[in-house]
Amino acid sequence: MHDPDAEDVAKAGRGDRSAAARLIGRHTPKLLTMARRMLGSQAEAEDAVQEVFLRLWTHAGRWQPGKAKFETWLYRVALNQCYDRLRRRPTAPLEDAADVTDDAPPPDAGLDEGVLGREIARALDALPERQRAAILLCHFRELGNIEAAEIMGISVEALESLLARGRRTLRSQLAHVKDLAGDGA
Amino acid sequence: MTGDISDKVFAQQVIARLPPAAPSPGFEAALLAAYDAWNDARANGAWAAWKAGLRRFSEIVWPGAPLWAPASVLAAALLMGASLGALLPAAANAEPAGFSLEQPGSFSLLSSDLPQEDMDGRS
Repeated sequence: MHDPDAEDVAKAGRGDRSAAARLIGRHTPKLLTMARRMLGSQAEAEDAVQEVFLRLWTHAGRWQPGKAKFETWLYRVALNQCYDRLRRRPTAPLEDAADVTDDAPPPDAGLDEGVLGREIARALDALPERQRAAILLCHFRELGNIEAAEIMGISVEALESLLARGRRTLRSQLAHVKDLAGDGA
Repeated sequence: MTGDISDKVFAQQVIARLPPAAPSPGFEAALLAAYDAWNDARANGAWAAWKAGLRRFSEIVWPGAPLWAPASVLAAALLMGASLGALLPAAANAEPAGFSLEQPGSFSLLSSDLPQEDMDGRS
């Protein structure tokens, strides 16, 4: 199994700045979107991604390429960071609700897309964290069930169960949205 | 089963319509700066650990002295030892020293040139 990141991880662990820059450039956008969808807050997502990369640098020197796929390890660390941050929240704070409105796309995008994006983000936020993680790994990251289950540290059957419940809830939460009603049915 | 498949397709389409989270300006530069800081700390960490070890050793051999003082004494001692080591073997060959357990001793309890003592230890 060829791991495209293995060489860069080893080099970054030895102090190679350009290898570190390549890893950052390759993984930041998707890690950040994943963390943003899990946490519902841009600032918290950026903190989480920063922490993930710090973990990466401290472990890079000891990285053993054959043991696990780098991306699997990276997303497991990211997911654990998100879980930790979600658990540290005492209650669902008011600013989180305000933060959902930040989901609006850039001004050049259509208003409908912005409203739709907010509706979807709200429905996703309403899912239990493990169902949300399963949906993001399989539908946003487009990982296979085996890899997603490995990242979440659960069996494939458990993942499939989370996915089924998450998809069902997501669909019922968005049933009122006209633009989506006909798409998936 | 059909329902499950359509839920799957629905979820796929819904997630695809989510706008990506764009990083704040300078976020990737901040990540790289954090890497640089980690790398500097790692490099300085090894040097700092080596210096601290040397400082502890110098405090034992010469408390209160600057680091160069015990270091130069140590260097002088090493030089002196190496010089003596180079010179001494020639001197040792000239007059063999030491003894072997396999060779007979050079003295005898019966030898007449030993001082005579009686049972009370008197000469």
